[in-house]
Amino acid sequence: MNQRKNILKEVLIITLVSLIMGLIVNSVNPKGIPLVRDDSERFKIDSASVQGNENKSVEKVKTKEGFVKPQNIPVETAKKLFDENVIFIDGREDFEFKEGHIKGAINIPYKDFYTKTPEEKQKMLGDIGKEKTIVSYCGGDDCEISIDNAYEMAKIGYDDVKIYIGGYREWNNLGYPVNK
Amino acid sequence: MKILSNKYFLILLRLILGGVFIYASLDKLYNQEEFSRAIYNYKLFPEILINIFAIVVPYMEIICGILIITGIYLRGSSLIITLMLFFFIIALTQAYIRGLDISCGCFSLETVSNKSDILQRIIEDILLIIASIIVFIQSIKSKTINNKEKVNE
Repeated sequence: MNQRKNILKEVLIITLVSLIMGLIVNSVNPKGIPLVRDDSERFKIDSASVQGNENKSVEKVKTKEGFVKPQNIPVETAKKLFDENVIFIDGREDFEFKEGHIKGAINIPYKDFYTKTPEEKQKMLGDIGKEKTIVSYCGGDDCEISIDNAYEMAKIGYDDVKIYIGGYREWNNLGYPVNK
Repeated sequence: MKILSNKYFLILLRLILGGVFIYASLDKLYNQEEFSRAIYNYKLFPEILINIFAIVVPYMEIICGILIITGIYLRGSSLIITLMLFFFIIALTQAYIRGLDISCGCFSLETVSNKSDILQRIIEDILLIIASIIVFIQSIKSKTINNKEKVNE
């Protein structure tokens, strides 16, 4: 019985010390994170990108790090941009890309991309000009690679990056052009 | 089964467990935001708890890693390590079964979306949990023996 009490005491002390250390270091760490995660904004479609609104001048929003914030777009806008021959970038891995992707898309796997230096990233994107519109997508609305990839591109100076949240799954289900 | 209570064998297990947990915690400590996202991707925990986990778990790992090597609070630290491994195995297994596109957040924070990678992590964690259960049981046994010796003295 005594033994059990002692083990419980040890567990409680270790847990408390970890909690206190974690909270203190997190609060002074410039890279610290908020106590409660808020993802509601991450997947939200930007209202300015919804069709009917696209003629209104869209003000480019800069993040606090100084790059232009990529914009989340719905499928209608993605299709319109596709018809205008805008570049689509697929952030999934090579083998998923080969199984099927939006017609004409370029495969830039996030897994490789985010580890590279800015110069190497630019090399991976080839001769795509910084002023060009890019649509980033991945499997569907349960993956975040499209968002992460878009931010990596924005960070190296691409200032018109869109994120097609619905991704390949929605595109394929609607019967839009794909390569298989 | 005598080897299980062999002093040097137990020290070896403690060094392995401690080393793995300290190593695994370092990357998470530097990249808490990415670790938080990795936990989020498991779709297993309520959103309100995710960042608290991301803040506390790396410290628990590093503290338990140090304690299990030094032998201080051996019972408590080996029990916590066993419980953590138990949750990691559950999280990884359900991700494997559901085929989630996740970054596993085990060691470094690279995207592990490949199913065979997840399977490999599960096997590693099962081996580690066996080691930590042995350390935990032996630490209880040796404590009981010590106490009895003290009483006899």
